[in-house]
This record gives sequence, C-alpha cells and structure tokens, in this order.
Amino acid sequence: MTADRGETPPGTAGAGIADLTLDAKVAAVDVPPELLAQSLGQYLRAWWLRVRSGNSGVLPVVLAIVVVAVSFQVANSKFLSPQNLVNLFEQSTVYMVLAMAEIFALLLGEIDLSVGLVMGLGSVMVAELVQPTGADFPWWLAIIVMLLACSGFGAIQGWLVARLKMPSFIVTLGGLLILEGVAIIVLGGALVGIGNSRFTNEVVLYDIFYGQFSPVVSWILLAVLVGAAGAWLWVRDARKRRHGLETPPRSLTALKIVLMAAAGIAVAAICNVNRAHFGTIEGVPYIIPIVLVVLAASTVLLQRTRFGRYVYAIGGNPEAARRAGVSLPRVRIWGFVLAALTAGIAGVLFASWQVSLTTNIIKTANSYVLLAVAAAVIGGTSLFGGRGKTIHGVLGGLVIGGIYNGLYLLGVSSQWIDVVVAAVLIAAAIIDVLSRRGAPRQA
Amino acid sequence: MTADPGETRPGTAGAGTAADLTAAPEGAAAVVPPELLAESLGQYLRAWWLRVRSGNSGVLPVVLAMAIVAVVFQIVTPEHAFLRPSNLVYIFGLSTVYMVLAMAETVVLLIAEVDLSVGAVALFGGVVAFKLVQQPGSAWPWWAAIIVALLVCGAAGAAQGTLTARLRIPSFIVTLGGFLLFSGILIVILGGADGFVNVSASVPNQRVIYYLVQGRIAPVVGWVALAVVVGVAGTVLWLRGAARRRQGLAAPPASLTVIRIALVALVGAAVVSICNVNRGTSLVTVEGVPWVIPIVLAVLGAWTLVLQRTRFGRYVYAIGGSPEAARRAGVSLAGIRTWAFALCAATAGLGGILLGSFFYGEYSTNTQDPGQLVLYSIAAAVIGGVSLFGGRGKPIHGVLGGLLIGGIAYGVSLLNLGNLATPLEYIVPGAVLLAAVLVDVLSRRGTGSGTRV
Repeated sequence: MTADRGETPPGTAGAGIADLTLDAKVAAVDVPPELLAQSLGQYLRAWWLRVRSGNSGVLPVVLAIVVVAVSFQVANSKFLSPQNLVNLFEQSTVYMVLAMAEIFALLLGEIDLSVGLVMGLGSVMVAELVQPTGADFPWWLAIIVMLLACSGFGAIQGWLVARLKMPSFIVTLGGLLILEGVAIIVLGGALVGIGNSRFTNEVVLYDIFYGQFSPVVSWILLAVLVGAAGAWLWVRDARKRRHGLETPPRSLTALKIVLMAAAGIAVAAICNVNRAHFGTIEGVPYIIPIVLVVLAASTVLLQRTRFGRYVYAIGGNPEAARRAGVSLPRVRIWGFVLAALTAGIAGVLFASWQVSLTTNIIKTANSYVLLAVAAAVIGGTSLFGGRGKTIHGVLGGLVIGGIYNGLYLLGVSSQWIDVVVAAVLIAAAIIDVLSRRGAPRQA
Repeated sequence: MTADPGETRPGTAGAGTAADLTAAPEGAAAVVPPELLAESLGQYLRAWWLRVRSGNSGVLPVVLAMAIVAVVFQIVTPEHAFLRPSNLVYIFGLSTVYMVLAMAETVVLLIAEVDLSVGAVALFGGVVAFKLVQQPGSAWPWWAAIIVALLVCGAAGAAQGTLTARLRIPSFIVTLGGFLLFSGILIVILGGADGFVNVSASVPNQRVIYYLVQGRIAPVVGWVALAVVVGVAGTVLWLRGAARRRQGLAAPPASLTVIRIALVALVGAAVVSICNVNRGTSLVTVEGVPWVIPIVLAVLGAWTLVLQRTRFGRYVYAIGGSPEAARRAGVSLAGIRTWAFALCAATAGLGGILLGSFFYGEYSTNTQDPGQLVLYSIAAAVIGGVSLFGGRGKPIHGVLGGLLIGGIAYGVSLLNLGNLATPLEYIVPGAVLLAAVLVDVLSRRGTGSGTRV
C-alpha cells in the first residue's frame, strides 16, 4: 500500500560498483560498533557515527523517557514517587508485551492490527476456563489452552497473508472484527471475573498482576539475575577474545554489567518502598520478571536463531531472502503465530489487571493495538520491516505507560489522552521515516 | 506495507519488448473496454465475456451478490419481510453512509493507499455541521454549515495526505493516528462521553439538514423528475454515441446505447414505484422518493465525472497503476495524493452529515462506532470491485458495495438471533471484508499482475 513498486531505492542503483569504492565511514554505519572498536573511546566514536547516520537504536526512546519523566514531574510532583512509579511499571507491562507481539509482525514488514483483540479474547478465555462453575481448568492449563487458541488464530491470519498474499493490515482488520464477535460469544453473559479469593486458580491469576515478591526475595532475585547475566556476558566476551574473534573492549562489557546492575537496583529499591495507604504493600511485582522472561525469550529467538535471521532478512528485502532460499510463507506464518502467542501472554496480564471482564472492556482492548504499534515505533522498531528489537517494545511501552499515567494524574479526560497518543504515534512514524532517510541504505 | 519496493512485477519484466508484439488479441481484449473492439451487440457481449473471464469482471460479482443476498434474506427473514418496499427504502437510508464513505475510500484506494480515518472524519464532519446550525450557538445558515464542515474535513484529509504523500509515512499508520485523533476530538466537541447534538425539524434553518435523508419527494414529482433525468441522460448518451460514430471514432454499437438507456429507465422506474408505495401506517401516509436517493446519485455523478473525465482522474488511475510510470510521465505524485486524501475526507464529511440526518437529526457518541464505519466502508468499496492494490475501480462500485453491506447488516438485524445478535454484528462484516479481499486478490492473480513476492 505504501511502497511504490518499481521505484528503485535511491543509492542501490549502482550498488555493485559503488560498494567497492565505499569509504570506511559508510561501512561503519552498517556494522555494529563493537566490531570495529578496540577501546571504549573508539567504541563511543563509532556509536556516535552510527547515531548520526540514522541508526540511533534506543537513544531517542531513552531521551523520550527522560522528557516524559521530567515534564510530568514538573507538572505533578507525585509522578516520580515510588507509589506512582510502581503503578506506572505495572500498567506499562501490558503495553510492553503487546508491543513485543507487534514487533514480530513489524520486523517482517507486515502489521498485525488484531493483537489488541487477541489480547482481549485471550483474557476472556483464560477467565472463563478457570471458572469453578464452568470448565474449572487449573490455571496453567487454562493459560496453555488459551495460548494455543491464540496461536491458531495467528496461524490462520499468517496463512492468509503469506500464502494468499492478502495485505496484512486488511487480513488483521477483518480478523479483529471476527475476534470481537468471538470474544463476546465466549464471554456469554455480562461479565466474568477472577476476583474470587475462595478459588485457588482465580487467586493465582489475580496475583500475576497484583502479587509481589517480599523485599528480601526481591534483592536476592536481583543479585542472582545480575550475577548470572553479568557472568554470562563476561564469559562470552572472554571466550571470543581468546579465539581471536571481534569483541567489544573489556571496559565496555564491564560498563554494560554495571549499568544493568544499577537499573536493577533502582527498580528493586523503588518497588521495595511501602506503597500502601494502609498496611504494607512492598516488593517487586511478579509481572516485572514475567516481562523480562518474555523479553529474554524473544531476544534469543530473534538474535540467536536461524529463524530470527530469516525474519530480519525478509524484513530487509524479501526478494533477496527468497533468492537466498528462505521459505517466505513459512517464516511469515510463524511471525504471525508468535505475534498472536505474545498477544495471548498480554491477555493473561490484561485479565489479571482488569479482574472482571465485560463487553466494554473487550472493546477497549481493541484500542490497545494503536498503543502497541506506537510503543514499538517509539521504541525504535521500523514500520518498514527489518529493523528493531523486542527491547524497543519494552522501552516504548514505558513511554506510552508514562504518558497515560501522567495525563491521568493531571486529570486529563480519556478522549484527550487518545488525542495525545495519536499525536505520539504520528510523531514516532515521522521520526522513523526521517531517520531512515538519513541512513544510506534506504528503502 | 504490502508492496515490497524494488521487485519486478511478474509479467511486466519484458514489457515493451518482444512479448508485447506477439501478444494474442485475447490478451489485449482483456485490457481494452469492449466498446472499443465491438461493431455489433453480439461482438460486444463476446468481448465483455472475455473480459469477465480474464478477471476484469466489473460490477458483475457485486450485482450477483446483491441478488443472492436479496433472495436468501427474503427466504430466511421472519414473515419474508426483507423485500417489502418499506424495508427497501430503509435499507437505502441505512446504506447511504456506507455508499458515500465507500466512494470516498475508492479515491484513496485507487492510488493504492488506504484511509482508516474516514469513519472518524465522517462523524467529525457531521457533528461540526450539526453544531454550527445550533440556535444558541453560531446558528449559521444550513448551507454555510455544510460547506464549512466539508472544508474542515477536507483540511483534515489534506493534512493526513501531506504526511503520506510528502514524507511517505505508510498511509494506514497516518490515518490510524487520524482515526484516534478525530475520534477523540469528536467526543470533545460533543461535550464528553454522554454528550449529544441534534437538529430539529421544527426550526426552519435546521429542517433542511434534518430532511436530507428522511425528506420525501411527492410521488407525482418523483415520476416527473425521473422522466426528466432519464430523458436528459438518454439524450446525452445517444448524442455522444452518434457524434463519435459520425466522426469515425470507436463507438459502442447503437443497439447497446438503446439497451443502456432502457436499463436506466427501467431501474429508475422500479426505484420510483417502490418508493411511491405507501410505507406508513393506516393513519400516516409515507410515500415518495426520499431526498437521499438524488443526493447519492449527485455524489456518484460528480465523482464519476471527476475520475473519468478530468485530468485529475486520469492521474489518479495512472498513479494507482504504476506510480513510477506516472512520475516519469510528469505527474506530481505528492500533489495528486494529497488532493485525493483531501477529497476523500470532504466526501466522508458529507457522509457523516447524511448519517446524522438518517438518525433523525441526532448525534451522540453512540451514534456509530467510527472503527466499524471505516471497516464497512472499505469492505463496501472492495466488495463493489475496487482493488486494494490501486488503479482499478469506479465510484459506482462503492455505491453498489455500500448497498450490499447495508442490505446484509439490515437483513441480519431482522433475524431472531438472541444472544448471537451482538457478536454477529462484528463477525459478519469481518468475514465479508476478508471474502471481498480474497476475491480481489484471486481475480488479480487471474490477470497475471501479481501483488508481491
């Protein structure tokens, strides 16, 4: 719909000849800075070159987080209080997971407009399946069945897109309508809830969003996590260096580990402040590690497996991927399956967050797709495929959550919040387009 | 999102070289309108059938679908009520907004873009017009209110068009943002989630807007108007064919012109006689052609003229067919694209005003879900025969598709479905949309112009 077929991307016309005379600067733009740098100083220079050429990575979104934090803190001093920050984290997790779902489709150069309602259907299904008066499944079985159903739906959409070559935004637009109807059928009556504390299965689901580790456990968990991740990073780099492979400088690895530890300590410290008006609520909410697990799993899948490489290849240039022997339909179908599966995980969080689900809540679930796309694009994932990581969804989700939370604190009505989110979405799309224009490899 | 840049379209690789010279006449017949090849009615029909079989089926599928829908619903609805004159007139009123929005969407689809904001922009335009004629407020004359509303919508479309055309942000992202933006602004103008605005039939200035859909033309006037319209249209058609024939240009056979005129007269007579049946109660007589039918015909006529007879229209088709070819031929891609979005939004605004009029002059936040409206509109255009991939379609397709969608929606609402009624409101349009796109994709496959890798 958007790209003009037949227009040659500028700069690729004489590729074969031009490549030979490319100077080192342009090459540096395409190669990750780790591979060229010998010292921290060199690394920073290479990174800056990359940023200036349009490959800015997470820099814009980190800046956006700072801007959101500072401006809302100025407008309302409660914004950065520990109570509100934990609230903000919790709210953002749904956007984060949904944005990660959307990224699977965006990386392929497709879009999935149905993730919001896959989440809605998933939340209704999981709540219905654990009802003692209904199916009475154990909570884990309910989640598995629901995730399978969502994946199946994703597979159908992916099949229509990949095999029949229907435009993905139309397939998923039709799909979301059908899902809305199906979700209302599954809901059956007026509402379904998981708030009954007499039934263990409902309590587990409820606690996914509202439960937390005790402060001591939180600290121990953090130490284990940072220790494991740090050790793994260090050992991997050391092994690469021993084998004489390209490796980031040692100081950079140390810096990364320190940054990770600092961020973890900050989050744990904020969450361990007592945030209840009466009594005690303290500790890291369960959903934060849940999001981290989804992030880690999707990052490994996309960055370390053959499937991930194929996803980026198709997103970058489908024709080249096809000629290289990648089965386009299969990878595309799996992309949509993963998008729907991740949206189903968001559905578990959503059900837990909302506690009781009604027809109206199913309808609002639909509007979350815009937030998901906006979060992914704000985070730095390209709308045109081939560029992005799931961490972008997490960071972008935090921005969206911050905007929602901040405007809500200021007493802005929901329709104006929609207007602001629309503006943010368009702004993110403009930044995406302009930053691609800056990059030498443009489509 | 759908077209991958940089790839060669299958079948065009060797265009202009040997392949073209040896192309069989059958291949050419599939591309050229049958009028240009046919000398007699028999030849014309054969040429037309060849075209249909090669994938260029025009309005044939949608007309068939309408016939099937009419027969099926007539059988399954309680008391076989679907085809009652009162219901048929109601379906037309209900479909108005879909027909007008589908025509709006058609222009954007023709340049291979999509506008997901038409629903929100339509409601926005309707509310602006309704607000402007309010007594305690600005109380503008009705025509000024309508013009201002259309201009505001046009500006909104131009803004979205600029982002799409100049910056090349994918249109579905820009208009998705626009959808959210105008849905929000709409509620703000209405004054909150439970706000509403209405026009009353008892205030002279507001009466016109109130009666845009509901107003009726007296039966006698209806017949006279039909006679005038058919007479004028027939004369124009006949004289044009005759003039072309006299000058030795390619012209449809005279018998075909006669058949066309007869068909127009027949359809017109059917519509007028259905509308002139008394559809009120024993106490109140309700009869005559509703105003909305000539209004929709006027919009259709205007859009057909713009797309088929002006330079803008030719450029729209050129861009939809091949943007790069159009650019090299000197067409300003950005200018035409921006105009297409602006005109689409202005037409959508008119659809919104008609929608409010259809709901007895009242607008509330519950009048219609903008998201559902846009889906119905795209589905209507695609079902009617407009291609999602650009360059193929006419405004009449939007009208027919809109009528089909309205007919299905109303037919489903006539059935006694109990608990399934609400879910089916979503499932049916979704399934219809997917089916329409599937037909579009498959029919393009038949013509050999694939869509992507």
